Amino acid sequence: MLALSLLLALGAAGCGGDDGGDEAGTEASEGVDEGAEPGGTFRTQTDAFEWTGNFDPTGEYLATFLGLYQNLLGRTLMGYNHVPDAEGNELIPDLAEAEPEISEDGLTYTFTLREGVMWGPPLDRAVTAQDVEYAFRRIATPALVAQYGFYYLGVIKGLQEYSDAGGLTEDPEGETPIEGITVQDERTIQFDLEAPTGDFLYRIAMPAAGPIPEEVAKCFLTAGEYGRFVISSGPYMIEGSDQLDITSCDTMQAISGFNPNQRLILERNPNYDPETDTPEARENFFDRFEMTLNTNAQDIFDRVRQGQLELAYASEPSEVVREYSTNADLEDRYQINSGDRTWYITMNLTQPPFDDIHVRKAANWIMDKEGLRRAWGGEPKGLIANHIVPDTMFNNNLEDYAPYATEGDAGNLEEAQNEMRQSKYDTDQDGMCDAPQCKGVLHVTRTTDVWANMAPIIEESFAKIGIELNTRQFEDSYTIIQTVKRQVPVSSTPGWGKDYADASTFMVLFDSRSILPEGNVNYSLVGLTPETAQELGATGTVEGITSVDDAIDSCNELMDEERLDCWQELDQQLMEEIVPWVPYLQGNADFVISDAVSKYVFDQASGDPAWAHLAIDQDLQQ
Amino acid sequence: MSQVHASPRGEPLLEVRDLRVHFPTPDGVVKAVDGLSFSVRRGETFGIVGESGSGKSVTCLTALGLINRKSALVEGEVFFKGRDLLKLSNEELQKIRGKELAMIFQDPFACLHPMYRVGDQLVEAVQIHDDMSRKAARERVVELLAAVGIPRPRERVRDYPHQYSGGMRQRAMIAMALLHNPDILIADEPTTALDVTVQAQILELIERIKEEFQIGVILITHDLAVIADVAQTVMVMYAGRSMELGARDAVFDKPLHPYTWGLLESIPRVASKGELLVPIEGAPPSLINVPPGCPFHPRCPHRFSPCDDQRPDFKDRGGGHPEACHLSAEDKRRLWSEREARRTKVAV
Amino acid sequence: MGRYVIRRLLWTVLVVLVVTLLTFVVFYVMPPGNPSVRFAGKQPTPELIAQVEKQLGLDRSLPEQYAHFLRRLFLGDGTECPLVYRPLCSIESVENFVVLDTGGCATGVSGCGWPGLGMSFDSRTAVRQELIERTPRTLSLIFGAAVIWLVVGVSIGVISALKRRTIWDRLAMGFALFGISAPVFWLGLVALWIFTVKLPFSDSLGTGYVEFGNDPVGWFTHLILPWTVLALLYAAFYARMTRGNLIDTMGEDYIRTARAKGLPERRVIFKHGLRASLTPIVTMFGLDVALLVGGAVITETVFNIQGLGNYAVQSAVSADLPAMTGVVVIVAFAVAFMNLVVDIVYAYLDPRVRYS
Repeated sequence: MLALSLLLALGAAGCGGDDGGDEAGTEASEGVDEGAEPGGTFRTQTDAFEWTGNFDPTGEYLATFLGLYQNLLGRTLMGYNHVPDAEGNELIPDLAEAEPEISEDGLTYTFTLREGVMWGPPLDRAVTAQDVEYAFRRIATPALVAQYGFYYLGVIKGLQEYSDAGGLTEDPEGETPIEGITVQDERTIQFDLEAPTGDFLYRIAMPAAGPIPEEVAKCFLTAGEYGRFVISSGPYMIEGSDQLDITSCDTMQAISGFNPNQRLILERNPNYDPETDTPEARENFFDRFEMTLNTNAQDIFDRVRQGQLELAYASEPSEVVREYSTNADLEDRYQINSGDRTWYITMNLTQPPFDDIHVRKAANWIMDKEGLRRAWGGEPKGLIANHIVPDTMFNNNLEDYAPYATEGDAGNLEEAQNEMRQSKYDTDQDGMCDAPQCKGVLHVTRTTDVWANMAPIIEESFAKIGIELNTRQFEDSYTIIQTVKRQVPVSSTPGWGKDYADASTFMVLFDSRSILPEGNVNYSLVGLTPETAQELGATGTVEGITSVDDAIDSCNELMDEERLDCWQELDQQLMEEIVPWVPYLQGNADFVISDAVSKYVFDQASGDPAWAHLAIDQDLQQ
Repeated sequence: MSQVHASPRGEPLLEVRDLRVHFPTPDGVVKAVDGLSFSVRRGETFGIVGESGSGKSVTCLTALGLINRKSALVEGEVFFKGRDLLKLSNEELQKIRGKELAMIFQDPFACLHPMYRVGDQLVEAVQIHDDMSRKAARERVVELLAAVGIPRPRERVRDYPHQYSGGMRQRAMIAMALLHNPDILIADEPTTALDVTVQAQILELIERIKEEFQIGVILITHDLAVIADVAQTVMVMYAGRSMELGARDAVFDKPLHPYTWGLLESIPRVASKGELLVPIEGAPPSLINVPPGCPFHPRCPHRFSPCDDQRPDFKDRGGGHPEACHLSAEDKRRLWSEREARRTKVAV
Repeated sequence: MGRYVIRRLLWTVLVVLVVTLLTFVVFYVMPPGNPSVRFAGKQPTPELIAQVEKQLGLDRSLPEQYAHFLRRLFLGDGTECPLVYRPLCSIESVENFVVLDTGGCATGVSGCGWPGLGMSFDSRTAVRQELIERTPRTLSLIFGAAVIWLVVGVSIGVISALKRRTIWDRLAMGFALFGISAPVFWLGLVALWIFTVKLPFSDSLGTGYVEFGNDPVGWFTHLILPWTVLALLYAAFYARMTRGNLIDTMGEDYIRTARAKGLPERRVIFKHGLRASLTPIVTMFGLDVALLVGGAVITETVFNIQGLGNYAVQSAVSADLPAMTGVVVIVAFAVAFMNLVVDIVYAYLDPRVRYS
C-alpha cells in the first residue's frame, strides 16, 4: 500500500479526463528565444507513458500524443501554428493548401491537399485524398476503437451507417463508399455533413482525421496495433521506419524506435519538404527526439537541472515548483502557460442536499478557493476559476465574469448563508443546514497529495454552512464517480481539459445524452430524466432536472462569433441556473527546461511544448 | 583453610584451593562456589555429590576455563600438574583442554554438534592437539570408538549424532575425551540422561578406562548411588561449599553431616529393601541469599544456637574425614545411629 | 531425490494454478472498475466499451477466460500473436544514457510463444515479451543486493553477537535499527541526491538499467546504488537475526563440547556456532529473494529499473489483468523454486532433515 501511494506520488496520474495535475502562475511565460540553431538531440523523460490507444492515431486519445503527432509526425488537413495563447488555438491549413470551401448551408466542406507532401519511408509516395478517406474508414471501424469517433460518426453523412455495417474488413473488395466523403481526385476531398457543425474544422485537425496509408494500415484491424507501424507524413518519423518491410503483412515487424512502455525515438523524415510547410507552423530544429520512461520523477528534474535532459515531461514535485518559482535565475527555465483546463468540485443534482440549487449556490459562495489553490502549490498552479470554460478559450471575454466572487477568493459566509436560508434544508432559517441530509455527506476524492491536502479545506468550508462531509479517498476515485449507480453526492476529484479550443468539448460534460452507466463524465447528471434514471439505477431526486441539451445543439450549429457568444451564455446559464460545479482552478501547463533549450515555445492547442519550435544549444548539453 | 588429604595415594594431580566463583548479577552476587578445596589423584575416582545448583558443575567448568571470565569473579587456585589453571591465558588453556584435561557432559543428545558427523567431530578433536594426518586421526578415532564399545566403529564414524543412541553418544563423548590420554577426566552427570541399564554400562566403562589409562576421574552427580558404585573419594557439596569429604566407605557408613544423612536417607539401598525413604525437607537456598552461619541450618532438624550465625569450619573433627558441622563428634555418632535405627524400624 | 524434485515441481504447477485462479477471481470479485472503460478513452460510449471488452476478452465468462489463460499458458500463444510482437532486429543505440531496449533480437525470442501469457490490456504488447525483458533487470537487482545483504548482515550480526554489550554491538544494532526504519524510498532519493547531484558521478551511478551484455561495467555501476539501498533493509534484518541466532547457539551444549575439546574460539564460532545459526537464515533468505522478484517495487521505481515489481504495480493500477497474472505466475514460480532450493540447501546443511 505504501509502495503504491509512493508510486502514485511519483507518477502523474493522467486518467483520461484530468490530464495531469499540472500547475503554474498567473502570468503566462514568454517562452525562450536565444537564437535557435538546428541540430542535436532533444531529450525528454516522462514518469509514465499512458497511451490510451497504443499510439494508433485512430484511437489514441492522450493529450501527449496529440501534441507529438500534430507537431512532429502527422499532417492533418487543418492544423495549428503551435504557439501560445489564443493565437495558438487558431486553425491554419496544414495538409490542405488553403482553407476549405464551405457551402452556404455549412454542410459541405471541400479540401485541396498540398502538392509535394510525401509519406516517409518506407512508402515514399505522395499523400493523397484517398489516404484521408481511409482514415475515416478506420474511424468508422468498431474494432479499431476510435476513442473520439463521436466527433465524426453521425456528423459526416453515411459514416455511422458504414460503421454499423462493421467498417473495414480484411476483404478490400467488399468496401462500400461512404456517402459523405467524396474523393474528387488525388488531391481533392469533400465532406458532406448531416447538420451544420460549427467546430468541424477543429475536428478535422485531430490526429484521427489525418491521412493514413492503407498499404500499411490494412494489416492492422484491431485497436492499438497500427501504433507500432505509424508512417510519418510530418517532419520526423519513428526511428527505424525505413527498415519496415511492407512487401506483405507478414514481413512487417514493429518499428524499433517506439515501445509503448519504454520510449519514443524520432529522427528526421527524409521525405519531408519544408516547402510544403511554414516556419510559423514548424521550424524543426533538432535532428532527433527521444522521449523515454523514468519512473523516478525527481530524477527527471535533477537530470534537467544538470543538462542531461532538455525537458521534464512530468508533474513537478512541490520542491521543484518552489525552487524554480522563487529563484530568479531559473525563471526562464520554468515555463508556465494556461493549460486550458478547469478543476472543479462536482455536485450530484440527484443527491441531497445538492438536489437544492440554493445549497449548490451556497457551496460556490462559501468555498475557500484560494485555500484550494494553496493546497495545489499557490499561484503558479493557475488562475482561480469562477466559471466552467477556461478564459483563453473564450478569448478572455469572460475573464471578469465571477458570479460568486468573494474577497480574496476565500469564501463569503454572509452570501452563502443567504442562499442556504432559501433552501429546504435550513428549517430554522439561520443560514446553516440543519436537516439530517447534511450530516455525513459522502465526499469522494483521490489519495494523492494535492487532493489529500484539499480535503480538510473543503470540509471546513462546507461546515460553515452546516454541511458535514464524510470524506473518502480512493486510488481509483474516477472510476467511482464515473459509475452512476454509486450516487456520489460530491467529489473534488475532477478536472477537464479541452480536446480543441471550442467550448463544445467542455459542454459535453452537461449533455444528458452522454450520461452512461459507467465511464460517465456528466457527474452532476445535468438533464437526467426519470426514465434514464430508472434505466441506470439512479435514485434520489430525479424529477425536474433542467436539461441543456437543446442549448448545446443550437450552439453547435453556429460558427465564429455567434458560436462563441452562444457558449458564453450557456456557461453563464450553467453557473447561475443549474450550478452543477464549484469551479476553483484554471490549471496551468508548466514545464521545466534545461539551459540547453535555446528556443522554447508553448503550444496552446495541445497544452504541451511546441515540439516543432524547440531548439537546443548542443554546447550546453551534458 | 587447612590442606585436606582424604585419600593419600600419591601426589595430587589436581588440587583446588579455596576456590570462589561469584557471578555479579543485577539481583545480587550469585555465590556459585564459595571457598572450596579438594584434590584428585591419579587412579582415583573423585565423586562430587549434591543437589542441583550446589556448584558442582561450576567448579569443574571453572577449572577448565569454560566460565566466561568477564562475567565471573574467580578467586583461589586450581593447581594442575604444577600450574595454576586460573592464571593461564585462554590460549594456554586451549592447549590443556581436551588434551590433558577432558570433560564429558550430562546430555549426550545436546553435546555433539548435530550437523557434523561423529567421526569428523572426533577427528577435529584429534587434529587440534596433534599434528596428525586426517587418515591417521581417523584411525585413532576408530580405535577409541572400538575401545569405548561402539560396534562397527569403522562404519559408524560416518554417522551423524542423531543416528546414535543416547548411550552410544555418551560413549562417543568418552572416546573424544580419551583421544589424547588425558590426566584427568571430568564427568559431569554422565549417566543422568540415560536408561538405567545404559547407566551401568557407562559407569563400568569409565571405571575400566580409569584403571586402564591410570587417570584421575572427577565424577559429578546428584545421585549417591552412582558415587557409591565407583568413587573412591566423595565430596558432598551444598550451596557452593563442601559439607563433608572422605573415603567412600567412611562417608557412606559413618557420615558426619546432617545433610549427608538426609541425602543417604533419600535413596534406596539395595541391601535393605522396604526402608522408608525420607526426602530432605525444604529446598536448596538461593545462591544470592545464602543463609548466614551453616547454609544448611534452615533445613537441618538438629540445628542449635551457633548454626544460624556462625559458619562452621570445614575441618577434621575426629571423625576420620573433614566436615563442616557444629555438632560434636559424639552427637553426630548418636544422632546418625538414632536415625539409622528409626529408618530400619519403620521398615520392619 | 529425483522423485522428490519431480513431486515438488508438480506441486509448484498446482500452486501456480491456484494463485492465478485467485488472481482472476479477485479481479472479478473486487474490480477496480471496468478496465474496458479505461481503454475506451475519456468520453467512452457504450459501443466503444463493448468493443474494447470484446477485444480484451472481457465479454466472456470468468471460467472461459480462465480456460483461455490456461490454454495459452500450457500450449503457448504463438497462434494468436499479432504481427506487432515480432520486433525488428536492428536496434540503433539510444543516445540517451538510459539504455532500455532489449528488443526481441537481443534475447533471441519473439514476443509470443510458450508459455503464453497473452497481451497486456494496457500497452497491447505480449506480456511474455515484457517479462522476458524485465526479469533480468529484477534478477540483477536482487542478485547483487542479496550478496551484499548476506555478507554485510551476517558479518554485522556475528560481530554484534560476539562483542555483545560493547560499543561495537551498540553501533551494529544502531545500524540495524536505522536500516529497518529508514524508508527505502527516502533512502534511494537521498543516495541519488548525494551521488548524482552533489557529487559528480552521475553518469556512472545514476538511475536506469544497463544491459549486462552491452556494457558490463555500466551494468555494475548503475546497480551499485540500488543494490546498496535495497540491501540495507535486509542487511539490518539479517544482522539482527544472525545476532540472536548466534547468541542462542553459543549457549548450546555442543559449543561447550567444542570448547572443551580445546578448539580455538574463532573455530568454535565460525565452524560450530555459525553453521547452526545460519540454517534458519537460509530459509528466510530463500523466501526473501523469491518475494523480491515481484516486490522490489520502490527500489525499481526510484532507480528507474523497469523490472517486474514496477510492472506489477503499474499493471495493478491500470487493471491490466494479463500483466498482473503474468507477474503472479513468475513470482509463484520463484517462490516455489526458492523453496525447493532452500529445502535442498537445508538438507545439505542439516543432516537431521536429510535422513528423516
